Amino acid sequence: MSLLSLIVVTPLIGALLILAIPGTRTKLIQGVALVFSALCLLLTGYLYAAFDKTVVMMQFVEKFSWIPAFNINYCVGVDGLSVALVTLTGLLTMLAIIYSFNITVRVKEFFFWFLLLEVGMLGVFVALDFFLFYVFWELTLVPMYFLIGVWGGPKKEYAAIKFFLYTLFGSLLMLLGILALYFNSMPHTFDMLELIKQGSLLPRAMQIWIFLALYVGFAIKIPAFPFHTWLPLAHVEAPTGVSVILAGVLLKMGTYGIMRFSFPALPQATKWFMPFLIVIAIINIVYGAFCAMAQKDLKKMVAYSSVNHMGYCMLGMTAMSGIGWNGAVLQMITHGLITGSLFFLVGVIYDRAHTRDIDAFGGLAAKFPVYAGLMIIQVMASLGLPGLAGFVGEFLCFLGAFNVWPYYVAVGTIGILVTAAFFLRMIEKVFLGPFNEKWAALKDIGFREMVAIVPLVILTVVIGVWPKFCLDLIDPTITYLVAMIK
Amino acid sequence: MLEYVYILPLLSFAVAGLILAFGRWLPLKGASAGILVAAWGFSQGLMLFVKAIQGTITLPYEMSIPWFSFGGNQATLGVYVDGLTIAMLIVVTAVSLLVQIYSTGYMHGDPRFKRFYCYLSLFTASMLGVTLTNNMMVFFMCWELVGVCSYLLIGFWFEKQSAAYAGKKAFITTKLGDLGFLVGLMVLFYAAGTFEISKILELAHKGAIPALAAGIAGILMFMGAAGKSAQFPLFIWLPDAMEGPSPVSALIHAATMVAAGVYMVARLYAVYALSPMAMNTVAWTGAITAFMAASLALTCFDLKRVLAFSTVSQLGYMMLALGVGGFTAGMFHLTTHAYFKALLFLAAGSVIHAVHTNDMREMGGLRHKMPITYITFLLGTLALCGIPPFAGYFSKDEVLAAALARNPVLFAIGAMAAAMTAFYMARALVMTFHGKPKDAHKHDHAHESPAVMTGPLILLAAVSVVSGFVLTRHEMFEHLVNFEGALPFELHHVNHSAVALFSSIVAALSMSLGIWLYKARPDIPAACRETFSPIVNMLEKRYWLDAFFLKLVDIGDSMSRFMFSFDFNFLDQLAIDGWAWLTLKLSKIQGWIDDHVVDAALNATGTITMSAGRMARLAQTGLVQNYLLFVAIAVSIFAAIAFAG
Repeated sequence: MSLLSLIVVTPLIGALLILAIPGTRTKLIQGVALVFSALCLLLTGYLYAAFDKTVVMMQFVEKFSWIPAFNINYCVGVDGLSVALVTLTGLLTMLAIIYSFNITVRVKEFFFWFLLLEVGMLGVFVALDFFLFYVFWELTLVPMYFLIGVWGGPKKEYAAIKFFLYTLFGSLLMLLGILALYFNSMPHTFDMLELIKQGSLLPRAMQIWIFLALYVGFAIKIPAFPFHTWLPLAHVEAPTGVSVILAGVLLKMGTYGIMRFSFPALPQATKWFMPFLIVIAIINIVYGAFCAMAQKDLKKMVAYSSVNHMGYCMLGMTAMSGIGWNGAVLQMITHGLITGSLFFLVGVIYDRAHTRDIDAFGGLAAKFPVYAGLMIIQVMASLGLPGLAGFVGEFLCFLGAFNVWPYYVAVGTIGILVTAAFFLRMIEKVFLGPFNEKWAALKDIGFREMVAIVPLVILTVVIGVWPKFCLDLIDPTITYLVAMIK
Repeated sequence: MLEYVYILPLLSFAVAGLILAFGRWLPLKGASAGILVAAWGFSQGLMLFVKAIQGTITLPYEMSIPWFSFGGNQATLGVYVDGLTIAMLIVVTAVSLLVQIYSTGYMHGDPRFKRFYCYLSLFTASMLGVTLTNNMMVFFMCWELVGVCSYLLIGFWFEKQSAAYAGKKAFITTKLGDLGFLVGLMVLFYAAGTFEISKILELAHKGAIPALAAGIAGILMFMGAAGKSAQFPLFIWLPDAMEGPSPVSALIHAATMVAAGVYMVARLYAVYALSPMAMNTVAWTGAITAFMAASLALTCFDLKRVLAFSTVSQLGYMMLALGVGGFTAGMFHLTTHAYFKALLFLAAGSVIHAVHTNDMREMGGLRHKMPITYITFLLGTLALCGIPPFAGYFSKDEVLAAALARNPVLFAIGAMAAAMTAFYMARALVMTFHGKPKDAHKHDHAHESPAVMTGPLILLAAVSVVSGFVLTRHEMFEHLVNFEGALPFELHHVNHSAVALFSSIVAALSMSLGIWLYKARPDIPAACRETFSPIVNMLEKRYWLDAFFLKLVDIGDSMSRFMFSFDFNFLDQLAIDGWAWLTLKLSKIQGWIDDHVVDAALNATGTITMSAGRMARLAQTGLVQNYLLFVAIAVSIFAAIAFAG
């Protein structure tokens, strides 16, 4: 079994093992979940280290026939576009599991679903067969449905069903697109790399229809305007660990799908759609930021800021240049780290105060210096402060797109200003000013929470100072991909 | 020597981390580490200066290491040192050193003393980064970091609502300018094909950057400079920034960070010099700022805010100088201003430390209580007003001469601002130190500050007195900091001595008038406030600029509420949930159809079949006789048909 298959299977074994443990043994269940997610992280870490940065093609490829009648293969592999996302998934899942040790209800099911979710996410990033990709894509849906619907907030059922149906709708359209590709290929195949070669030969109208079908599926995940409204709701209702995964990894599946497949395989359609895509990216950036500014709920604010940040990512994609694509991929990773940690941090305060109302706090910095420090660092990273991870990706996205769409980009910069405005206002209201004595009994951040959050903060600083650490992996593949598309 | 200059910012960064992590175990809670590093940096700066003057080092010097590559481009980390860099380096390290020494006294006993020094070191590191970097991407990064340090330090006493607000205001206002900077940087990148300063300058000197692109990039980047260097109309954040501790005001909001915008224009002067449009934007913005801010200082009663407006005004001078082609004059004024304005802020801090108020109406008569502070403040005032032979005289004279060479109108605006400067400084001096104490209680408790605070004051005062004179000997400063490229316009010939004479007479007259009015006839200014109340009102409202920007914020807020309401009500509730609702309804209708049509049809089929069956059953009697009868009938019929056929 190759490394990638091992990575995907590890959490699956963990999940099955948890099924076999009696539900009352919560410590054991937590232990198993932790061990298997840690094992998976180690493997993804090894993958990161073993990945050959100079090779632009797929690495660690494994392929065997799965359903020969339809020429469906089990085929996995990674390149510079996906390898960092695999590692990110491993990291965020483990940290989210650690954070989720505070879950007390139906612990067994929780960690079962959580590990199963990890299988799906990892699978999406490594799959090279479109059928397999689709299977993994759908596999993320079910655990997410239960994780939100069972362990969520007051409106959890509503949020879960909405999330499920909305994304299912997208996936079905995507399935149509995949089938259209399958039946138009000779010989019929689901092999992504083969389809990328053949897709560009399709007539333009066909490309456009397929692109549209795939795009809706991906856009709902990103989430791109106007398909984003499930996100704030799902985030607000989801438990902390699930929010982290949702923002940190699941959203990237959308942008990843577009970059992995739609753009390379359907170049004419890409060209045709580009004017729409840039407008949507700018809407995501500006509109997302404005919507975030209107929020009173801390978590909803961070959720809308994700809409804004995924807009940067799409902006980088529309540049169709090495600069922009480097930025887009880096943005996916850094957004995972930064927004992931922000959801943790919001969870910390919510667990203590049982409210997320921005106006309910005040002056917390004096009383909780560690918590305030971590929050301020990550907020600064999120608003694109240089020296922290968010900046480089964001800057490259803007820089790349500027060459093609200078006026749109100039409008898009408003998003940066608004982001700074709402985050600083939040800091002012929650952490600065006179201390609100109502919260005098609260405790500063605890050990378990630190374990979940601090690694992300450290990575945020490290990538900010030394982005080479990520970009070296990304750049060769991206340069190759962009050259190929052009 | 030059090879090690890159260590300066790195060391300061390291010290910031060191103070945060281990400060409590270090002497003076980590202040010692910050001071040592700043002292070392200053010594390095001085040595570089001396060597550059002697000509024993070759400038410009550049070194860099690869940082990361992106899509065929290489980003580098490195240093670029020329005369301009060295001049700025000395300003940054010198003021940083003195402010850090001073702060051990000023911040003594503050519960967040350690964190204060951590921020100061972080600031110094970022500012050194701005000064030394060899590429504009890193320049922008450090530029933003400087802004964050400013945010943190303005809001250092964040329990005070006004301080927290002022920090946020500063950050967002400068960020507004930085949007322009960002876009300008991108224009420059695609026009020059690189972020590296040396290459950009080389291309600009060769004229390889199109003038239009250079102009657009220059003006957009100037927006960033207008934010950082508090130019019209973005200067609104600087007066509020005075909520921060006074040493912060001296370091960040007088000498270094606010000069970063000026430094940026000077750094890319070759680019600006390609476009008369960009140069004129810089010059006129500078002139307007110099005038407006000076007028705002006239009616202000907060000692630090007077100095803040004065800083804005002097920054306007620097921009004016750069915009009219006075490269050396602008940078010279930046240098001298850094010292005497830092001095004035630290002296003001010393006063505030003693009387615990910023309001000049509660001061007065402090000169006997605080002689050292008084004398140093006086020297700083003389330097700022441009009285010969103090530092400001030399630099301001050069600025005005440069303005006259370009356009008499700009000169006139500058001269009026100079007159106002002398007047409001005289006013501040008299109200604070002369006359009778206005608040006896505060006056009684006032005392001279400790030596760690007065020491830096004396040093800065000495520099403020002599620096102008010394640096103009043998054209020392001009030799170090000059621009060799061509300007995009012709300059008139100007008689320097005449300008110098004129400006010092204006300053002296205006200052005397101020002293006389506020010392002997305080009733006249009071009457003037009455008579010219609309103007006073306009000045106190700061030309309604604050209101204007607050209105913008309001509009932003309304937009955000509108967009969110659209998002929730229309996109989410109506479009998505509405669709879901419609689907449910449709499914109900379908259910009904299913029940009443489809199912009914099926049932009907069933019923018909059943009835058919029932009817058929009638025949199935089970009696053999009947069956035999049917058989007989059937046989007879078939037989009949057969025979008939």
